[in-house]
Amino acid sequence: MDILLSLAAGFSAALAPINLLWGFIGCLLGTAIGVLPGIGPALTVALLLPITAKVDPTGALIMFAGIYYGAQFGGSTTSILLNTPGESSSMVTALEGNLMARNGRAGPALATAAIGSFFAGTIATVLLTLFAPIVAMLALKFGPAEYFAILVLSFTTVSAVLGASMLRGFASLGIGLGIGLIGLDSTSGIARYTLGVPELVDGIEVVLVAVGLFAVGEALYSLLYQKEEASGRHRLTSLWMTRADWRRSIPAWLRGTLIGFPFGSIPAGGAEIPTFLSYSTERKLSKYPQDFAASKGQGAIEGVAGPEAANNASATGSLVPLLTLGIPTSATAAILLAAFQNYNLQPGPLLFQTSGDLVWTLVASLYIGNVILLVLNLPLVGLWVKLLQIPRPYLNAGILVFASIGVYGMRHSSFDLLLMLAIGWGGVLMRRFDFPVAPVIVGMLLGPMAEKQLRNALSISQGDWSIFVTQPIAAAFLGLTLLVLVVPHLLHARGIKLQEDD
Amino acid sequence: MTGRSRVVLSQLAIGLGLIAISLVLVIGALRFPPEMGFVILGAHVYPCAVGAFLGAVGLLLSYQACTGGFRELDASSDDSAQAQPGGRLGAAWVTAGLVAIAVLISLIGFVLAAGLLFACSARGFGSRRPLRDLAIGIALTLPIYWLFNAGLGVALPPLVNAWI
Repeated sequence: MDILLSLAAGFSAALAPINLLWGFIGCLLGTAIGVLPGIGPALTVALLLPITAKVDPTGALIMFAGIYYGAQFGGSTTSILLNTPGESSSMVTALEGNLMARNGRAGPALATAAIGSFFAGTIATVLLTLFAPIVAMLALKFGPAEYFAILVLSFTTVSAVLGASMLRGFASLGIGLGIGLIGLDSTSGIARYTLGVPELVDGIEVVLVAVGLFAVGEALYSLLYQKEEASGRHRLTSLWMTRADWRRSIPAWLRGTLIGFPFGSIPAGGAEIPTFLSYSTERKLSKYPQDFAASKGQGAIEGVAGPEAANNASATGSLVPLLTLGIPTSATAAILLAAFQNYNLQPGPLLFQTSGDLVWTLVASLYIGNVILLVLNLPLVGLWVKLLQIPRPYLNAGILVFASIGVYGMRHSSFDLLLMLAIGWGGVLMRRFDFPVAPVIVGMLLGPMAEKQLRNALSISQGDWSIFVTQPIAAAFLGLTLLVLVVPHLLHARGIKLQEDD
Repeated sequence: MTGRSRVVLSQLAIGLGLIAISLVLVIGALRFPPEMGFVILGAHVYPCAVGAFLGAVGLLLSYQACTGGFRELDASSDDSAQAQPGGRLGAAWVTAGLVAIAVLISLIGFVLAAGLLFACSARGFGSRRPLRDLAIGIALTLPIYWLFNAGLGVALPPLVNAWI
């Protein structure tokens, strides 16, 4: 079996001691930063990107795997202990997990989150191993018209399916597309929208926008509009889960993984749907409905186990379109794409052909990263909790310093720092008026790709626009796009909303 | 829910702002220099499409703003959410800190500029001990500087030499 051989080769590369060391460091850093309130996995990866700049590609990939998983676990820790989810996908974890914590059961909540993530991550990585090469082979048959259609579908699902308002999602998408236009047009050589500023000729970096919106924007917004929350001390009694806990968690992990992976791997948007779905499922199937938050209970462990597993499975699943098609389906995946491009790796079906060994090393390091996470993080939970006791002013100030390092480290440009500040203020506006942020990032990255594919498709068809409906696969994707646009309105008209209701 | 005839000015401003951006996109695109050679899709086409898209969205949002406000607005974005007292000042301090590092980083080096950012941000978030904050800031940025320069090869601007 070819796949097993390649995977084995990947493992042997990944298990080299120096690479393992990078993995540990990545995991540690990822968790440390992911734990900080307000910093989700996407921002963590973005902030730590400059550190990986000088590490060799193999080591850097392993570090990324560590950072990726560490950041997710860190985010869960903050959700459970501080009720401040770093991302919307951690919101359900905060719901049940924090309730458990306030009732003295922070330990089992954290344990189920960590073990569930390991479980889901491992299974999801196996699924990735099996499916990615198949999808990559299928993707080789895709031409520019098909790619363009998939990208249009991705735009639509990211903007239209998440969040309350499709229209505001599209507004964010439009802004992202606009930002993506800034810079040199590769085909014609014209500098677009650079306003005479030389730094803009290369365009605006994704990491800059991500850091500006998430770090700076959040900091400013919390100052302007959020009340100081007294963060209670949580007694961290014991990490051990009881028999009953295990019995309730294991099926929840399984269901969460099965829900999460498919959602993550289709070019739909984000990890919110699977986590909310998992939560609803666990609530409906639970034998202990009285424990759930909505029933004013003590916190139901399956309400943490399922969504955490779903979250992790979805995150791993999102690597499928990223690696095989080069299409990121979440903000975190977008940042990973930027990281790959820094190493001159262009994810896509050709990646498996040209740099196959690197891809398999990455997959192997995902497995390893999962193990490292479990082994490292559970015992160190006490340390992460201590981190949260740093006074808020210093915590936030430190985050801003890191944000500046991250942005300045890319191009050594003061202009970039000012741009980051401006984008941060834009982020405040967006938060204030409930405009989702993920479509901006996806629009920025995918917009130029879509233009390129559009041009290629039209070149091949000699300027014939009907190619998009005559090619069956492309037409199918465009048809799906229409469905995505129309179905939520139909559902809404019937009173069904695609949001968690309580 | 607010009445359907109420005009929400702040939201209307957002809608109009989006329309303005879309105009910038379209007008800018129409002013691109002409392209040489065989052109299948000019450099102005896609930007115009994006501009049209954004303009349409802006129009619809402005319409919503004039007829009772954005739909399905999250409770936390309710426009009765007041700015925190002192929040604006805090935000100003953070902004000042970020401007400071942007302007000063290549002049006085990373360690001092980032230390200044740290102190200003801490001030913005409520800390009232500026000298101590500055000291802590520098205590943080100095080892980071060493780590990045010596350990990771990412050259951050020095004040004097590779150690500070």
